[in-house]
Amino acid sequence: MESAIKLLSGPIFRAAVVFFALGLARGVFLLVWELRRTYRRAGDQQIPLRRVGSAALGWLVPHRKLTVQPVFGLVSMAFHMGLLLTPLFLAGHVALVAASVGIAWPTLPNPVATALTLVVLVAAPTLVLLRVASRPGRALSGWRDYALPLLVAVPFASGILVMHPAWNPFPFQPTYLMHLASADLALFLVPLTRLSHMAFLPLTQLATELAWHFPPDAGSRVGAALGKAGEPV
Amino acid sequence: MPSKGRYSYYVEPAALEVTERPARFLRAFAAVLEHANYAPALDLYARVGVKCARCTAACQLYESTGAAEDIPCRRSELLLRVYRRYFTSAGSLRARLGDAFVLSDEYIDEMAEAYYRCTACRRCSAFCPMGIDHGLVTHLARWLLAEVGVIPKALVVAVREQLEGVGNTSAIPVPGLKDTCEFLEEEILESHGVHVRFPFDVEGAEYVFFPAVSDYLLEADTLMGNAAVLHATGASWTIGTGNYDGINYGLFYSDRMMERIVKNVVAEVRRLGGRKVLVGECGHATRAAWYIPTFGGPDAPPVVNCLQYAHAMLEAGRLPLKPERITERVTYHDPCNIARQGRITEEPRALLRAICSDFVEMTPNRTTNYCCGGGGGTVSIDEIRAFRTGPMGRSKARQIRETGAHYVVAPCANCKKQLREVCEDNDLDGVEVVGLHDLLLRVIDLQPAGGDSVSRSSAGALATVAQG
Repeated sequence: MESAIKLLSGPIFRAAVVFFALGLARGVFLLVWELRRTYRRAGDQQIPLRRVGSAALGWLVPHRKLTVQPVFGLVSMAFHMGLLLTPLFLAGHVALVAASVGIAWPTLPNPVATALTLVVLVAAPTLVLLRVASRPGRALSGWRDYALPLLVAVPFASGILVMHPAWNPFPFQPTYLMHLASADLALFLVPLTRLSHMAFLPLTQLATELAWHFPPDAGSRVGAALGKAGEPV
Repeated sequence: MPSKGRYSYYVEPAALEVTERPARFLRAFAAVLEHANYAPALDLYARVGVKCARCTAACQLYESTGAAEDIPCRRSELLLRVYRRYFTSAGSLRARLGDAFVLSDEYIDEMAEAYYRCTACRRCSAFCPMGIDHGLVTHLARWLLAEVGVIPKALVVAVREQLEGVGNTSAIPVPGLKDTCEFLEEEILESHGVHVRFPFDVEGAEYVFFPAVSDYLLEADTLMGNAAVLHATGASWTIGTGNYDGINYGLFYSDRMMERIVKNVVAEVRRLGGRKVLVGECGHATRAAWYIPTFGGPDAPPVVNCLQYAHAMLEAGRLPLKPERITERVTYHDPCNIARQGRITEEPRALLRAICSDFVEMTPNRTTNYCCGGGGGTVSIDEIRAFRTGPMGRSKARQIRETGAHYVVAPCANCKKQLREVCEDNDLDGVEVVGLHDLLLRVIDLQPAGGDSVSRSSAGALATVAQG
């Protein structure tokens, strides 16, 4: 088991972090590149950046959106806050990074990190239950939609048990192994699944706006490509 | 059979054996992704959609039916599934590993039904946490469907008449147009005692006027109001006999058609040496005209909606109004095509507050207004009236009823037709649906301007409007 822990906290963890970072960076780079190409060929290049920026920011800090489906909105906001803040600012994680690469940053007090972890652990199944309880939610959802929130909660469940051995009914090493394996898996999955919205979300409003800015000859070119140029309506 | 373009795709021989239509759909899809600007947005939507169902809180159709097929996110997923499957490497890999989804005739029929139940009002786009614009997906899907021949007859017949027939969607010939305008001039003379002209083919006019051409048949008061405002403010304007139709149903089903129609508008303005396009009371005509900078080249004429024009004149103190005001209760319907992005919402309200003593708002309004229920060109399809005024129009009927208004002002030819039918079919008997210029006509004071055109330019007051 110790060798598995070494593997998961060493080379596999490093590979997962690199895959996570490069995968998202690649995706964002390609998207920005495509958006740049889209912008350059738009016939009307007057982009209402203020409106687009305001819409994007409105969803990144969505406290004003809680008038619609407020329960779902609140649970979702709490889930996302715990999900983002805890792994990044947990003192134990920062200490490990500092020991490994010599870089450190401010950390959350451990009780706060514990509270945020508990928020994630409550919010994840609540989101699944809200999905099950909602008729349109059920109609839209496949197994992945139910599995993903639960999957990303596993590193938090195992993590809190690692942090608080007194609460842990299981032996330490299997719990730690589970924490490492699930965290590595989540990192690998982010660029490959809809979890990637963590990187793409700021750009969706801009992509939508640019899609409405047509190239001046797009219709003619499509007509020509389909052999329909000059064809009657 | 991969295509050679930037967006390659993979179609199983089995799909081609069944029918040719799915293959044609995919060829059109590949060409559109190649030449239009939809690809990055579509790719992003396919990656990030979380199916949270928040859009159901925005959709008036889902509010009415509660049916799964009317969930905006599910509707968009129909096209995104095709995109993922045929235009992404992951989809291609899954296909080779045995993914059972194959684009079929039945699936295309399902998309046709779904994308014409949606009015593309884009209300739901403001409710999606992921920023997915379901209206954009509907817009694109309708174009792809059109390329395989799936287009409502009413839309294609109108576009055919406009591009290859008489030259406008109502098939009004030039002599008929001139007769109508003469009649309208006589009406204004009778009601206001002033000879207000509808000028034709004036070269070098500041404004070339493009109303929804159906107004010449159905909305006499709106047109007389337009002419009265232009006359009273001394505008230099004209109607071009080469093209006098602002309607652009290409917006509803094909960017190919939309491009041709917009280019015809620009050509008419250039033929006359006009300086600006003045669009009448029509939401989609205005939105289509906003594409003039896209298709009209670097010296494309600026576009002004008649509401913006009248408002600028009001602000400049150049719109002479009688002291008496409209006393009946008035409410305002925001046409989606001009209000959803917040482009024209305050101008009509300022005008109404200036001329009405009892103006009340519908709720919700402005950028989150409910669609009239006939958006996206569906108002032209008479066969689906029961759907338009029932499940699709019920929310709007409730909104109107709650205001207790006598007049519903809808500055859009399509909204007016639809709202009249909504009122008829939902027992809103005392409600009258009118254009904003219909009411302006009642309170405008034409006497100060006299019977002749006044030569002063309205360019100054409108400099900022034309930039917008």
